[in-house]
Amino acid sequence: MKHQKTADGIGLDHLQVGQHGRVVSVSGEPDLRRRLLEMGFTPGAQVEVIRRAPLGDPIEFGLRGYHLSLRADQARHVRMQTP
Amino acid sequence: MSTCCEGTPRLNWRPGDVVIALAGNPNSGKTTIFNALTGLRQKVANYPGVTVEKKTGRCPLGGGQCALIIDLPGTYSLISRSLDETVAMEVLRGMRADTPVPDVVVVVVDASNLQRNLYLVSQLVELGRPMVVALNMMDIAQRRGLRISPERLSRELGVPVVPVVGHKRQGIDELKRAIQYARISPLPEWDLPREMQEELLVVGGALAILDDNEPLPKNLAGVGFRIPCCADLAGGTHVCPPDNCRAAQARLQRYTAVAERLLVGDRAADMGDVAGRDPVASLLRAAESRLSAHGIDAMQADIEAHYRWIEGVAAQSLTPACEDLLPMESGIVGEQTMTLDGPSEAHQPEDARITGQTLAYAPPTTHASEQVDQVFLHKIWGMVCFVAIMATLFVSIFWLAQPLMDATKAGVTWVGELVTPLLPVGPVRDLWSQGIVAGVGGVVVFVPQIAILFAFLAMLEDSGYLARAAFLMDRILSKVGLNGKSFIPLLSSFACAIPGIMAARTIENRRERLATIFVAPFMSCSARLPVYGLLIGAFFGAYSALVQGGILLSMYLIGITAAAGTAWLFKLGGEKEAASSFILELPTYKIPQWSQVLRAVYTNTKAFIMKAGTIIVCLSVVLWALMYYPRLSEQQIAEAEAGAKTSFVGTNVDFKPGISLERMAEIRAKMHEKDMQEAVEQNRKNKETSVAAEQLRQSTAGRFGHLIEPVIKPLGFDWKMGVGLVGAFAAREVFVSTMGIVYSVGAEDENTAPLEQQMAADKSADGRPVWTPLVAISLLIWFVLAMQCMSTLAIVRRETGSWKWPVLMLVYMNALAWVVCFSVYQVGSRLI
Repeated sequence: MKHQKTADGIGLDHLQVGQHGRVVSVSGEPDLRRRLLEMGFTPGAQVEVIRRAPLGDPIEFGLRGYHLSLRADQARHVRMQTP
Repeated sequence: MSTCCEGTPRLNWRPGDVVIALAGNPNSGKTTIFNALTGLRQKVANYPGVTVEKKTGRCPLGGGQCALIIDLPGTYSLISRSLDETVAMEVLRGMRADTPVPDVVVVVVDASNLQRNLYLVSQLVELGRPMVVALNMMDIAQRRGLRISPERLSRELGVPVVPVVGHKRQGIDELKRAIQYARISPLPEWDLPREMQEELLVVGGALAILDDNEPLPKNLAGVGFRIPCCADLAGGTHVCPPDNCRAAQARLQRYTAVAERLLVGDRAADMGDVAGRDPVASLLRAAESRLSAHGIDAMQADIEAHYRWIEGVAAQSLTPACEDLLPMESGIVGEQTMTLDGPSEAHQPEDARITGQTLAYAPPTTHASEQVDQVFLHKIWGMVCFVAIMATLFVSIFWLAQPLMDATKAGVTWVGELVTPLLPVGPVRDLWSQGIVAGVGGVVVFVPQIAILFAFLAMLEDSGYLARAAFLMDRILSKVGLNGKSFIPLLSSFACAIPGIMAARTIENRRERLATIFVAPFMSCSARLPVYGLLIGAFFGAYSALVQGGILLSMYLIGITAAAGTAWLFKLGGEKEAASSFILELPTYKIPQWSQVLRAVYTNTKAFIMKAGTIIVCLSVVLWALMYYPRLSEQQIAEAEAGAKTSFVGTNVDFKPGISLERMAEIRAKMHEKDMQEAVEQNRKNKETSVAAEQLRQSTAGRFGHLIEPVIKPLGFDWKMGVGLVGAFAAREVFVSTMGIVYSVGAEDENTAPLEQQMAADKSADGRPVWTPLVAISLLIWFVLAMQCMSTLAIVRRETGSWKWPVLMLVYMNALAWVVCFSVYQVGSRLI
């Protein structure tokens, strides 16, 4: 259930640490969506899960040559396709 | 060349100056470059109406020309969400009446994070202003194996690109020279879906027809695709005169650019309310629904097109030799980039465009930085390091600063005593020694603490650790309705709530920002420290250092608990607003630069001293006057003297066998003489004390203390403490000097044993001691929880833009303090 692959891919928050994949789509409130897209989560972009914070949330991601942290609640709006 | 910029205290724009806007992403090293360009010729103010810092500086360009450099707030995008970004966007678009329209935009690009930084560049390209790129952090990029060629990037963008290493001042002179060669970057053809281009033409065309002096934005470069003309429709031959066609195309370019901004959801102020009113509103709705039928979202398509362009530019800007370092999909063909040495082809975006969904995924950080994070963000060690770093911070503030504070205090006393004899006896001398020296001196002693704290904060920030601390703390802070980004403001508030409250600007969510501002004063600031020190020293001095330290620590913990509870109430009671978000870049670790740290210390310490020199001087004078006037009449003085207790001469010398009677009498006479002198001295002191106490009782402040006594009595406080509390409202540390004046010991040696002893010995009318450990605890808690700082209220007013919050803060905090102190004192006095 957790790693269920749908046509829309899986939520970025469900990727394991060390796993990477490509962005399929970005959903959510317009403001959040814009910010995520502008920070580089565009469809096709490759994203790697670097680590989770000691308390489990937020999560650190690597994309486009830099590191960014998002809460799981935001990361779930980024749908991923894993290799 | 030297005449224009030197010795100009006011950095106003002058005709003939080149106006330069310095733009860039947060963490791009923009501030370092601004400092390198302008040196100390800086002026920091606020943009009128908003609290965004407006930093300007002047810089000689050579050839007698000067530049006014406007340091814009760091921004990821020109479509704004936060106040900072709005200001940056408005300055760049020339929408702010208070800021000259920039002639040149210098954009700082972090070479080690090229793609994300180029996103802002791609938006600046659309703006159509002359531009220069300062390619910063080339050293880090190189260490990471990214060999970016500034020449190639320059060819791609069509603007000068200057490699700089900001902190080493490398390339700064070249950057100044390059400003003269700033160019408008040729507008690339964005890879927008055909359907969207069509919709843009439709909306743009409609806007051109509808144009009835609508406040449509100017200064647009046009839209990033070719506008068709009559020749496109007529198979390549112009039907109308080509000049007409070109004019129509240019006109349509501009309107289509406006249409693009409207369709992608850019609602900046230069748009007016065009988008909200018919017929444009319905035009946009129709276009949106047609696009969504094709599965296209204008905003996303626009950003995607920008990133596709960026990927191309970034790929073309690499030095060919290291291209294999980037694991890329097959899209980029090696030969293509190899042929780009000829300048003519470089501008052709078609060459750069990569087909398919290719994307460079460079190793995000240097190996070293990643290794550091393996410890600092480790599940267990991360938290251990966090606690250790915070502990080090507090230890340095409190223990490292102590000798420096003692030295400062000695210095203040020395200056006070040096000047005092020069002043005429009477109000002027009293004003100096009791008002100004005691008041300002009491504040200036905190300079070492403030300096150490800001040095620490600057080092943590410069190194990149503060972002990690926010990352570690977000979970905990979000539980109580705050944000990981609240961590930095709250940490700063342990020095002083004012910089803390200002640092809350980085929090995008309004409710979280307000909550952070609201709870920041619960953090025990450095001004409370001398009060804690005085009370703990006076009443718990007999206990071990461990107990004293424990009491001190509990004061901090009580504050933190109150902050958490209050933030949680905020979360419950707050209106449902935009969802909380935490999107934070974790920059590569860097070694902090001493120049930047020292600059932060200098700026903040200067601001603190300025405050001490202005506001606190005035308040000290006012408070002193309230305690000094009205003066007692001769008769009242006589009465007070008569009421003073008289010391008697002690003559009981024990008779010791074996001493002759003569010797005995001799000793007795000698002792008597000495005792007499002491007794006279003591009686004189008693009289002085009595007069001073009576003077205080009859003063305006004393009367006020009596007036509020019924309110504070249930908390265990008497009217003298009431006077102290009133004094503390100017600045908490004034409590100590007020108590010094109240207890009629010289204000200069406020922290020495006599004051503490006098306080401990003070008896109320019924003979019970005024001060008990319970009263001290109650008063300590009062100081933790109560809002007693006018400067904080003023800053909250400024940051929130209304009196509602400071008033609410004042009422809430003082009510909370009263209730807690009441419970503690009442319950405590029944238990003991």
